[in-house]
Amino acid sequence: MFILLWIGSRLRFEDTECWDINEESPYWWIIKGPIVVSIGVNFLLFMNIIRILVQKLNPRLIHFNNSSHYRRLTKSTLLLIPLFGTHYMVFNFLPDYFNVSLRLCIELCLGSFQRSRASTRYRLTKQYGAAYLTICHLPAMHGRVKLKSTAQQEEEKKKEREKKLKVYVATRDACFSKRKEGAMDDEALQLTQQLLSANPDFATLWNYRREILMHLETVKEEGEVQKQYDAELAFLETCLRVNPKSYGCWYHRGWVCGRQPRPNWSRELSLCDECLALDDRNFHCWDYRRMVVKASGVPVDQELQFTDRLIGSNFSNYSSWHYRSTLLPLLHPESPEPPAPTPACAHPPTNSPPNSPHTHSHRVCEEQLLKEYELVQNAFFTDPNDQSAWFYYRWLLGRAEREEMISCVYMSREGERVVVAFSRPVNAQAVGLMLVLDGQLQRVKWRSAPPSARHTPVWICELPPGTISDINNEHNLTVHWTEKHTQRECALYTGRAESWCRDSATDQELFRSELSVEKTSVLQSELQSCNQLLELEPENKWCLLTIVLLMRALDPLGYEKETLTHFQKLKEVDSMRTNYYSDLCSKFMIENTILKMEYAEVRVFSISEKNLTTLCHLDQLLLVTHMNLCTNQLSRIPPQFSMLQCLEVLEVDDNVIESLEGLHNLPKLEEVSLKNNQISKFSQLRPLASCPKLTRLDIRGNPIARTDNIAAELAELLPSVTDLML
Amino acid sequence: MSGIYWGLTVMDLMGQLHRMNRAEITEFIKSCQHECGGISASIGHDPHLLYTLSAVQILSLYDDLSAINVDKVVEYVKGLQQENGSFAGDKWGEIDTRFSFCAVATLALLGKLDAINVDKAVEFVLSCMNFDGGFGCRPGSESHAGQIYCCTGFLSITGQLHQVNADLLGWWLCERQLPSGGLNGRPEKLPDVCYSWWVLASLKIIGRIHWIDKTKLSTFILACQDEETGGFADRPGDMVDPFHTLFGVAGLSLLGDEQVKAVNPVFCMPEEVIQRLRLHPELLS
Ligand SMILES: [Zn+2]
Repeated sequence: MFILLWIGSRLRFEDTECWDINEESPYWWIIKGPIVVSIGVNFLLFMNIIRILVQKLNPRLIHFNNSSHYRRLTKSTLLLIPLFGTHYMVFNFLPDYFNVSLRLCIELCLGSFQRSRASTRYRLTKQYGAAYLTICHLPAMHGRVKLKSTAQQEEEKKKEREKKLKVYVATRDACFSKRKEGAMDDEALQLTQQLLSANPDFATLWNYRREILMHLETVKEEGEVQKQYDAELAFLETCLRVNPKSYGCWYHRGWVCGRQPRPNWSRELSLCDECLALDDRNFHCWDYRRMVVKASGVPVDQELQFTDRLIGSNFSNYSSWHYRSTLLPLLHPESPEPPAPTPACAHPPTNSPPNSPHTHSHRVCEEQLLKEYELVQNAFFTDPNDQSAWFYYRWLLGRAEREEMISCVYMSREGERVVVAFSRPVNAQAVGLMLVLDGQLQRVKWRSAPPSARHTPVWICELPPGTISDINNEHNLTVHWTEKHTQRECALYTGRAESWCRDSATDQELFRSELSVEKTSVLQSELQSCNQLLELEPENKWCLLTIVLLMRALDPLGYEKETLTHFQKLKEVDSMRTNYYSDLCSKFMIENTILKMEYAEVRVFSISEKNLTTLCHLDQLLLVTHMNLCTNQLSRIPPQFSMLQCLEVLEVDDNVIESLEGLHNLPKLEEVSLKNNQISKFSQLRPLASCPKLTRLDIRGNPIARTDNIAAELAELLPSVTDLML
Repeated sequence: MSGIYWGLTVMDLMGQLHRMNRAEITEFIKSCQHECGGISASIGHDPHLLYTLSAVQILSLYDDLSAINVDKVVEYVKGLQQENGSFAGDKWGEIDTRFSFCAVATLALLGKLDAINVDKAVEFVLSCMNFDGGFGCRPGSESHAGQIYCCTGFLSITGQLHQVNADLLGWWLCERQLPSGGLNGRPEKLPDVCYSWWVLASLKIIGRIHWIDKTKLSTFILACQDEETGGFADRPGDMVDPFHTLFGVAGLSLLGDEQVKAVNPVFCMPEEVIQRLRLHPELLS
């Protein structure tokens, strides 16, 4: 209407040129009026948002020691100015002919901001929306700003509080005494309602209400009961509007719906929608919704569409992505017969029982997986700094859970020892492990490596003396894992001192993505997209990390160099998590070294100058005899190191090792070189005493080498060592 | 009841437990135990697992568990276990992994963990594990730092930490640290001292505490201390309360602050108390 009026007056009185030039006229204000008003309103809105923003930031004292945060804040505020047309305010009350060229210049500059991506605008609305929400819904013990006040104000407040408290205590006592009397009447409902409106976390009062409601069920007609519960739901709705995060309210609501003769589930669903529209991360409401969905039998695909909708309207919604991760495997489960990688050696037949609850597959079929990649890509291209989509993407890239099986059986004549490795940690004493040697069941005692672990992938036992010690005898060993109906065989031929049977990491595709080979082209194009994004946002840590993961899924060895560069960059742009990136990089480098070792078919594990900060996958190194970890940043030999039952020589020079905990009970260990580490106390060397064959020890360049009398003490602790270098 | 536990644990961590009125507190707890064995938040309230744990924690600090009827507490906890292994908070049947933690922590402190079906309880908690390696209230619920603390604590007490995907969960947890140094409880949320504790304790339990920036976190926690009262608030400048004071102080202890006694990350009680009870909750290394 305004526009019509405006066009009308323009046409009638000032139909000159292209309406951009006007002279002083009495009708000026008719034309200009609506413009001024709308700019004014916009300005008020703008000021209000700035006020909220300042309010939100100030009391929290959020420390921005990172200049990029300041930059981003300034940028956001600058963007707001053209968005709300605030700059027009400046010119509003000046006549239009005032300094036209200056005006044009400023307007063009500011206006250019308006052309920035729609996503930026969307991001802003999101930020300010969140500001509103956090101010409106504050939980009981959170976010109460401490206000400075004068003594007088304090006094007044105190009085008021006391007055309120008095009323509250009186009502509470009345409630309690009514309950003691066994009163189940409307007055009791009234009193509890009063108290619960003020304090919905008063669990005992909800209990009392439930007692009363259950009593009323027995005395009222069904229609009446239905009405009674409807009233209860109405009361709960008012409570939830004030306090949408009260455990007590939500539980009571679910309870009421469960008791009601004819629950109205569609009303409950729309209540949830309304609540999620206010706060799409309220996990109480999400959980309640899941309960309603289950009770009313909403089909899974409809729920998936629900997440489509929510994600479509707001990519940054971790709760929706999470929900998706629970729905997809139900709707598109991984095919029951996964395309098996062509086995290099014959796998023993494994009849694994149906998935037990804690190994149930969270995986999704390949076809759907590819669609999901596209959806997530849309999300992180829209807002590359939003973590929700990236977390989800990493899940999609994850590997299938390893099948539970015996991955290696090793036997040695010396010590008449058998070592069994499993694909995941187990408790061998509890899983029914049976050992049959040449058709004879053997009674053995299993011990774990490391010794303190109840659940570990590696278990060791000794056969009765004389069973396999004669090198002229051939033996056949079978290890039965009765609980999983699986077994593994191992033959020890004459003339051989040891023998093993195993799946290698390469056979098991341990460190690869779960996608079949034909689909690697998809991963390749994913990698390309991420690289494009990285060009736009070279400091985006989420993008960097995802690129590393994609590279690993595609070709871990081929991309090793790029991976290292990206990790270096990650530590620079996200310095708070340096240690995480170092550990993850170490893990990947160890995986690569295992692959290389297996391709070379050797038992030597060598990884030096790779900045290793942690050791992992040690259960994969059961057969390794020589290990070189020199020039890294290892601070300890972890307990899991005692899994390396074949290790003979260990070199860990030039690290920062303080603990040798894992050098425990290593039956074949002969040489340890620990040059230039941080061993400073005698007690740190004590684990070595449990390695019977240790003859050579080098601890030069450690603080302990300079202590008095160390040689004598070591001779006593380690009598087998003949070659000690201090 | 929980308020007393928060306050007393802070006092004990600061070596000031003797300044509290022990006799009065013990008497109060006694009067909160009900016929069924459960303990309530206060006199006249209904018993609940949350307060049963708090009461048992307080009496453990005082090394005075015999003040209440221990057998009845065990019966009460046992009675709340459901067919699927989960625990209800009280007889009204709300199910939550928080209550699973309360149940096993209570029984562990009483030395009676074998009273319940531990395998089933573990199975339920594991069914609450999510795509991000975290845990929620119930199967299908979103991961939340408080819930992750309860579930990793539960798995530590029951010796089942190997079931956790520590690398994945550790990543999610260390991503909770914000530029201010404080930690939040879920992605895209504000930092908070109590979440700092829950995330930090969980990281300690799964052996990944070095994945966050300790200096920045301790600066944040100290900024939450109120100069007038000495207490801690959820965020700098907010009102202080005993809840956040405990989690602030306990967090500083985990970060290695030497003015505070060592705290046990699973039970949130002084390490010396846990050792006195001869408990060895599992920690990953
Ligand atoms: Zn808090």
